Amino acid sequence: MSSSVDAGLRLDFEAIKRIIPQRFPFLMLDRVIELEPGVRTVGLKNLTGNEWFYQGHFPKRAVTPGAMISEAVAQTGIVFFHYSRAGDVERDVTYLLGAIRMRFLEPVWPGDQMRLEVTPVKVMAQAAMLAARVLVDERLVAKGEFSLSAKPNRDL
Amino acid sequence: MENVQSLDDEIRTLVAGILEMDAAELDGDALLVQDLGMDSMMALEIVASIEKRYKVKLPESALPTVKTLNSVIALAKQYVL
Repeated sequence: MSSSVDAGLRLDFEAIKRIIPQRFPFLMLDRVIELEPGVRTVGLKNLTGNEWFYQGHFPKRAVTPGAMISEAVAQTGIVFFHYSRAGDVERDVTYLLGAIRMRFLEPVWPGDQMRLEVTPVKVMAQAAMLAARVLVDERLVAKGEFSLSAKPNRDL
Repeated sequence: MENVQSLDDEIRTLVAGILEMDAAELDGDALLVQDLGMDSMMALEIVASIEKRYKVKLPESALPTVKTLNSVIALAKQYVL
C-alpha cells in the first residue's frame, strides 16, 4: 500500500505520521477512512491485547482507559483541523488540546476496533471546537466535545 | 424587553459555566482574561456555545470582542436579536 493521501479521502498510517507528531506508545490512530475538510473525519484504531496500557489498566482485566480513547479522538481531531484550517495560516505548528469533555458509555476491550468520528462545532484559523463520537461494531461507546489550538512552534 | 432580559441572563449563565464561576458573582465589566483567568480556548468555547444555543454564525472577528461579560452580551444581541 502506498503511503499517501488516497484521492484526498483516506490516510494510511505513514500519511498520518506526517500530520501528527505522536509516536509509539502514544500514536492512537491507524487509518483515516473518510476525510472531508471542514465537514468530517473518520479514523480507525485497532486495539490489540498487546497495547502497553493494558499492562496496568488493569492487570486482571484489560479494559481501554478513557484517557486513551480521548487521545485517539484528539488525534483524529488534529487530522480534521489540519485539513480544515482555512486560508493563509501558519503551518509550522504544534496542536494542543485545550479542553475535552467525554462521556464513556460502554467499555472498550482488546480486539475492538474504534471508529472515531469528528465533526466541527466551530473552526477558526488558530483554534477549533469539535464534536466526537466513538463507535465499536456500530455501537456508540463514547461521545463528547473538545477544543484544539494550533500554536506556532516559534512561540512555544 | 422580556427577551432582552432573558438573553442577558442566559449569556451570564453560559459564560459563568465556561469560567466555572457562580453566575451571580460575575461582574459584567470584569476583564475575562486578566481578572477572571479566561484563556483563548474558553473564548472560543463562549463563541461556539452562543452559536450552538441560538443557531447563529459568528465570524472569526467576533473572537477579539470577547473581553468582558457585557461585551459578550452586546455581541450576542448583535446576532441573536
